[in-house]
Amino acid sequence: MDRRRLIPSMFHRRLVLLVAVIALTSLGLGAQLFKLSVVEGAHRLAEAESRLDRRTYLPTYRGRILDRHGRVLAEDRASYDIAVDYDVILGVWAENRAARQARREIGTSEWNALSPERRDAAIRHHLDYWKTKTDTLWMQIQRLGKIDEAELIRRRDAIRAEMQTTAATVWERQRAAWLARFGMEEDAAEAADNPRSGGFTPRPIREQRQPHVILPRVSEEVAFEFVRIARELDGIVHVLDSRRREYPWTSAEVLLDRDTLPKPLRSSTPISIRVDGIADHVLGSVRTEVWEQDVVRRPFVNPRTGEIDLGGYRPGDVVGSRGLEAAFEDRLRGLRGVINERRDTGEQQRVDAVPGRDLHITLDSRLQARVQAILSHEYGLTRVQRWHNNTALPLGRPLNAAAVVVDVENGEILAMVSMPTIAMGQRMTDARRRTDDPWVNRAVEAIYPPGSIIKPLVLCAAVQEGVHALGAAITCNGHYYESHQDRARCWIYRPQFYMRTHGPLLAEEAMARSCNIYFYTLGDRLGMARLSNWFRRFGLGSPLDIGLLGPLVDGKRLGENGGQVPDEDTIAKLRNEGQLNFSSVIMGIGQGPVTWTPVQAANAYATLARGGVVRDATLVRDDERIVPRPSRSHLGLPPSLVRAAIEGLRQSVEESYGTGHIIRYEYDESIVPDKTFNVEGITVWAKTGTAQAPALPVDTTGDGENDSVLTGLSHAWTVGLVGPKSRGEPRYSIAVIVEYGGSGGRVAGPIVNQIIRALQVEGYLPNIEAERKARVDRSTGGAS
Amino acid sequence: MSQVTVSLAGSRYTPSGLRVNAKELHKPRVQWLNTGWLCVFAAATLSVLGIVAISTTEPSLALRQVIHLGIGIVGAAIVAAPHYRWVHRASYPAMIVVLLMLVFVLIPWVPEAIVRPRNGARRWINLGITDFQPSELAKIAYIIALAAYLRYRANYRTFRGLLLPLVLSFIPLGLILREPDLGTAMLFLPTFFAMMIAAGAKIRHIVLIIVLGISLAPLTYPMLRPHQKGRIQAMIAQVTGDPRYEDDLGYQGARAMTLVGAGGIMGVGKQKAADLVRFNHLPEEHNDMIFAVICCRWGVAGALATWSVFILFALGGILTAGQSKDPFGRLVAVGVVAMIISQMTINTGMTIGVLPITGLTLPFISYGGSSLVVAWLMVGLLLNIALRRPQYLARKSFEFDERSDQA
Repeated sequence: MDRRRLIPSMFHRRLVLLVAVIALTSLGLGAQLFKLSVVEGAHRLAEAESRLDRRTYLPTYRGRILDRHGRVLAEDRASYDIAVDYDVILGVWAENRAARQARREIGTSEWNALSPERRDAAIRHHLDYWKTKTDTLWMQIQRLGKIDEAELIRRRDAIRAEMQTTAATVWERQRAAWLARFGMEEDAAEAADNPRSGGFTPRPIREQRQPHVILPRVSEEVAFEFVRIARELDGIVHVLDSRRREYPWTSAEVLLDRDTLPKPLRSSTPISIRVDGIADHVLGSVRTEVWEQDVVRRPFVNPRTGEIDLGGYRPGDVVGSRGLEAAFEDRLRGLRGVINERRDTGEQQRVDAVPGRDLHITLDSRLQARVQAILSHEYGLTRVQRWHNNTALPLGRPLNAAAVVVDVENGEILAMVSMPTIAMGQRMTDARRRTDDPWVNRAVEAIYPPGSIIKPLVLCAAVQEGVHALGAAITCNGHYYESHQDRARCWIYRPQFYMRTHGPLLAEEAMARSCNIYFYTLGDRLGMARLSNWFRRFGLGSPLDIGLLGPLVDGKRLGENGGQVPDEDTIAKLRNEGQLNFSSVIMGIGQGPVTWTPVQAANAYATLARGGVVRDATLVRDDERIVPRPSRSHLGLPPSLVRAAIEGLRQSVEESYGTGHIIRYEYDESIVPDKTFNVEGITVWAKTGTAQAPALPVDTTGDGENDSVLTGLSHAWTVGLVGPKSRGEPRYSIAVIVEYGGSGGRVAGPIVNQIIRALQVEGYLPNIEAERKARVDRSTGGAS
Repeated sequence: MSQVTVSLAGSRYTPSGLRVNAKELHKPRVQWLNTGWLCVFAAATLSVLGIVAISTTEPSLALRQVIHLGIGIVGAAIVAAPHYRWVHRASYPAMIVVLLMLVFVLIPWVPEAIVRPRNGARRWINLGITDFQPSELAKIAYIIALAAYLRYRANYRTFRGLLLPLVLSFIPLGLILREPDLGTAMLFLPTFFAMMIAAGAKIRHIVLIIVLGISLAPLTYPMLRPHQKGRIQAMIAQVTGDPRYEDDLGYQGARAMTLVGAGGIMGVGKQKAADLVRFNHLPEEHNDMIFAVICCRWGVAGALATWSVFILFALGGILTAGQSKDPFGRLVAVGVVAMIISQMTINTGMTIGVLPITGLTLPFISYGGSSLVVAWLMVGLLLNIALRRPQYLARKSFEFDERSDQA
């Protein structure tokens, strides 16, 4: 005892110390409780309450895409899959059920005490009952799915095999992650012996707990029948809604006549061509994989506010991945529905799904199929032919190409084809896919030097800028620079054309003859800045926004290319390099730092045909656009200038000196002339262009890899305006490019000619021949 | 003092009279009005609270818990009835029996019908009608064995003398860890230190051991089992606000904390609490996680009330220890309080997210026969000690000069 202390007994002092420890501990616990319940209480209550809500989301339908005549090009179609639980497929379900029933009857503790033999006996007692159910199911699946037993077994084995592979991969990955986290090999070994020791345990992967499709895409009646069966069989079979995006217009059989083809291909009998993947570049496709960029663009749950956007992306959603499907994603996708259920009260709140809106586009799918058939390698125009005079490439080699048809009146795109199609790309080798990239829509995404087809635009620019009078002549002496005979030459000033020259030329004839000197002069006089400005006014240098611009991802919108027109920096750079003058000169004939897409070419010609009224080409109808197109603006071109430009295009086709008048080739052992445009009753105003192309990678060894390049090749252009002869004015603008095709008039010209035929057959242009034939038929019919 | 005078008055100092008087001096005397009833009251209150809390989600189990409570009270009465010196006599044999049982459950070739592992843990012996958990009994056996060991010693005032009982403590502790039952094993060390402090071990020795233990503890981390490591990682994540583990390892802890917080100050009431607990899928909600249910249903008020009753229990036990003159009784009372309060602290601490989750019940409150009955047996022990008046000729126990270094 220590009497000097407040508490004399040491034992009692120690008890007070213990009480103090308890009090301190309690204070600590109290502080944490205060933090949870008072400081975070409201937030935690909300979190706990949120788990009382059960949300079930209802799927929505994606909007359809329809062509100008209301044909459905893309739609969501309802369909049903019949799926069976995995343990049923494995064949262990009946036994599991029997075991569960036996255990329930006997009681868990007694069950645990039973010997394995007794347990087996108890299970066998119940097995038949459950086995009948699975047997019934397999029988019904065979009957309603119209498959025999062997096929059923094959399908079950396939699912089983796939699941085993998947599970093995998943488990291996999980085990690696588990080891990385706890890092003990011996524990892992122990875990293998004793699965419940807290070591890594391979648990059934998600797919093994899900039903698997055994009868895909059954009819509504069969699906209904299975709903009934599912009720009888304890829900071991499931009817899954498997709506799919379908493209009903992807394939067609097109009958093309051959009597207007160049002679080597000409025939009086039509040819039937099967086309696949019609408009696949334009329509695009959907994917069921949601990417991070989708979630960033439109999250399902706003990460800042926690709000739910029923149109936002969740895993498994259908997402438009290319073409119109991607460009009009927000409008097509619609809003999912939701059922909010309070789990404690059972209260329900339902918001119905809002289907996506339909999209009406300007394509005519029949014309589209026809143009695609014309561009098909089977038809022959997009293969290297003898009359192409393409010496660099082997005869018969398939060529990539693109074609666009635009209605002059309103800028609507009637057809837009890019070769190869995506469908063709699926059959390509990897090496070919690299050179002939089938994913690129060459009509809007690929950019090419314009070459001579730019010349009408240069004429307009020069006259409007006052650097050249329409009536003034420019003399062609074969080469532009006095001192350099080998630089900036006219195409005709070459050995193969006996170094000829054009002499003095007026605008129309200069265009018809496609004289380079005339347009070098205009380019020189205009200078690059003014020329570039005029190109921009004709729609070059930025995407036209025909409707294929995809959503903004990383500050870029894919789907359309605007081509290149030199900006101030480029001009300054060229000036510093001393190249500005030469570049301006060659830009007058569409070479140098300028490129565009076929749709821009067709669009610029349509603008010219409208007398300078700008109405950008479009794939979707005006009332379908979210952002309205700018109203028509005018370039202020005087009618005399437009007339001269159009007249130049007419002469190019119709006058004997025009570059688009005839092609000459060897046929029947003699050189024969053949009119490029030979469809009766139609006037064609066209310009051909042969534009220097970049080097072409080729495979010389035949090992599937490109090992060298070919240089000096040209892209073949023809852009034309067409209209019925009776009206005398252009109705449609057509642009065709054949990559590395060579001469524009020889390669692309016959394709434009066939597209004119197609417009006739589809009723866009009067068909004089058909009418005459019909008249003859009628008269002979009347006579007989 | 008056009673003493009266009984001595009749002896007249004859030899036989003196013998009678000597017998009289050793006669156990019962003190009916004592501090032990505080503990009984606290335990009863907690048990009733537990039954009501269990009924929030499991009414049928609450009913069975009433039966457990009945068994517990009867058990307590049986323990309280004979003088605790009988308990003292039984302490070492009891400890040996318990150790044998702890070894028994670990023997791998014992048939599963007798020792059935659950979730990989070998803790239970099947007695036919019910399962029996030796580690629960080990809690009591440990307290009385340690009390018996320390009773008339003073050598634990030296560092080496202190280490020996500590090392011995690791025999039951190690066996329980091996089951594995980390939660129960964790109770032995606080109990040991509490009893040592009460017995008068030098505070600086104890502080030294604790500091050493804490600084060496991280070295044992690589020896832990994966699930234990995971829980510690989850716990650290939880405290630092890292949500990565909330869906697996930290799931139970995260859900428990949510429900504790959801109760707010006054709680959400029975029906709402039942719904919240059910749809938040809190595992073990009637058992290890019962404190979360209490916090959810009655809020901070309910939690504070629960803790207050535990502290009342502790005070009752401490007062009983303080009034007893017998070293064994003193230590047993302190040991019981330490055991119960440690268990309460660890259980509620893990529920509110300051300690890693280990499978450990909240004494008196959690559902479960073993847990409740053993807790009540401890109450019986306390009451037993409180009921006995001090003997006249008791030796002064555990009084050392704290300022002297001599034992």
